[in-house]
Amino acid sequence: MKRYNNKLGWAFISPYIIFTIIFFLIPLVWSFWLALTNWNLISPSIKFIGLNNFWVAIRSSGVHEAFWVSYEFLILFVPISLCFSMIIAILVNKLPKFRGLFLVAFFLPYLSSGVVTSLIVKGLLSSNGPINTFLGHFGIDLDIQNQPFTALLVISIMIAWKMSGYYGLILFSGLGNIDKEIYEAVSLDGITKWKQFWKITVPLLYPSLYTVLILAIGTCFGVFTEVYQLTGGGPNGATNTWQMQIYKDAFENLKSGYASAEALIAAVITFLSITVLQKMIEKWGKHYSWN
Amino acid sequence: MIYPYLYMLLNSFAKWTDVDKSFIPAHYTLRSWKWLFSGGSTGLAEPWLAALGHTFFVTTVSVLFMMVFSSMAAYALAKIRFRGKKFINGFIIFQMFFPAMILLIPQFLEVTKVGWSDTFKAMILPTAVSMWAIFMYTNFFKAIPDSLIEAAKLDGATDLQILMKIVIPMSKSITTVIFLFLYTERWTTLLWDMIISKSNRTVTLNVLLSSMFGPYGSYAGPMYAASVMLTTPLIILFLIFSRNFQKGMQFALK
Repeated sequence: MKRYNNKLGWAFISPYIIFTIIFFLIPLVWSFWLALTNWNLISPSIKFIGLNNFWVAIRSSGVHEAFWVSYEFLILFVPISLCFSMIIAILVNKLPKFRGLFLVAFFLPYLSSGVVTSLIVKGLLSSNGPINTFLGHFGIDLDIQNQPFTALLVISIMIAWKMSGYYGLILFSGLGNIDKEIYEAVSLDGITKWKQFWKITVPLLYPSLYTVLILAIGTCFGVFTEVYQLTGGGPNGATNTWQMQIYKDAFENLKSGYASAEALIAAVITFLSITVLQKMIEKWGKHYSWN
Repeated sequence: MIYPYLYMLLNSFAKWTDVDKSFIPAHYTLRSWKWLFSGGSTGLAEPWLAALGHTFFVTTVSVLFMMVFSSMAAYALAKIRFRGKKFINGFIIFQMFFPAMILLIPQFLEVTKVGWSDTFKAMILPTAVSMWAIFMYTNFFKAIPDSLIEAAKLDGATDLQILMKIVIPMSKSITTVIFLFLYTERWTTLLWDMIISKSNRTVTLNVLLSSMFGPYGSYAGPMYAASVMLTTPLIILFLIFSRNFQKGMQFALK
């Protein structure tokens, strides 16, 4: 049994403590207080207005948009990124050689800045850009400035492109933990590849799938750069995420108090949504008898 | 998967009439790169190189702080017995999952109140500790045998020396993973840097690129060149460390 060494322990942890007080606890208290005021960043007068900001916020169209947009991203982004990353993991796992090389190549999109991918997508999707020139032959025109669903889908695919290599790496390492003999045993039973995937791979891969799902769900509630750069929340609020809404109110409309209230609402809804989804995924896991 | 990068690279060298016209541009020129640094017909060049320098400085210093402070905290949590440890362990998990959007506005007010608007300090210090890095390091350090540390202590080494000379060198692969993730995240940060930086004195490359989206809308070629400048250093860094990264990920994913 080691002896207590309080002084040494606290000395090592002191940078963390100082950081947490200054950049976590003080801002935390401050944000609650701000949310109860009408402060607008410039004016010297700060009036305490109780819960008024919250009542206004929950009736505002911006907050309603952000509320729905996060779930719309959930419905689009989670399946898309899961498909991409699953394909990557299975493909790389099938390779006899150069697995590391391919994993690295698939991981490279993770290093991209949202600003850069936005520029590339803007170029690819401009009205006489390569994609629309090609699709024009089939009479299709994609326009993220005017088509709400196109905008949501394009941004989901952009983020899926960025994250899939990372998620794929997690799934790949999960595949490596599955005993090969199980596949050999069932292959004798003449089971189809498709059934094999759903009945064996998915249940045995559950721990990795759980990690990927939680990461992907978290991503949906934090979208900002791509939206800020490409659509500004439009068309007609179709891509107005929580972060975008808070940014607009706090730093463009300079309503610090009101935006703080929005941030608190966003945080509570995000937290509740993720918790509920997490419980659902855990229930699904119990079905495969993982705890 | 690599195609968007290729598209960016080729378009930065494409003839201006060819930019964003086809999946692979037909004709090439250096005009975009020259224009980027000379400002072309407007005569005013944006400080692209300086911005790259700022990004490099801010990212490197931030990540250095994060690595040092986080590994110190993790060493205490994994290897030192002290009162309050359990509470801090729990609180770090709480902070890790805490929605950062609540803190954005008050953190911004905090740094502007003390007069740090438009300074590197304001970009670096609010990200000087990473909860995720503490969490990862703590798990890794726990696996290092206590006997090794006891032996070093008998030889008269202090805990700081043990951390720097024994523990960190033993954690090379996980250090690579933490470093690369933190570096990537800090390098590509937009929102925080955008609200802090008010002038060319502090502007980072990502923020400059973002702010030129509108004004340079009709100069896509130079924008692609600037994007290449922003993306290439991270890719090179990642490729240099990719072997250690793969090893580290095997631990990180357990």
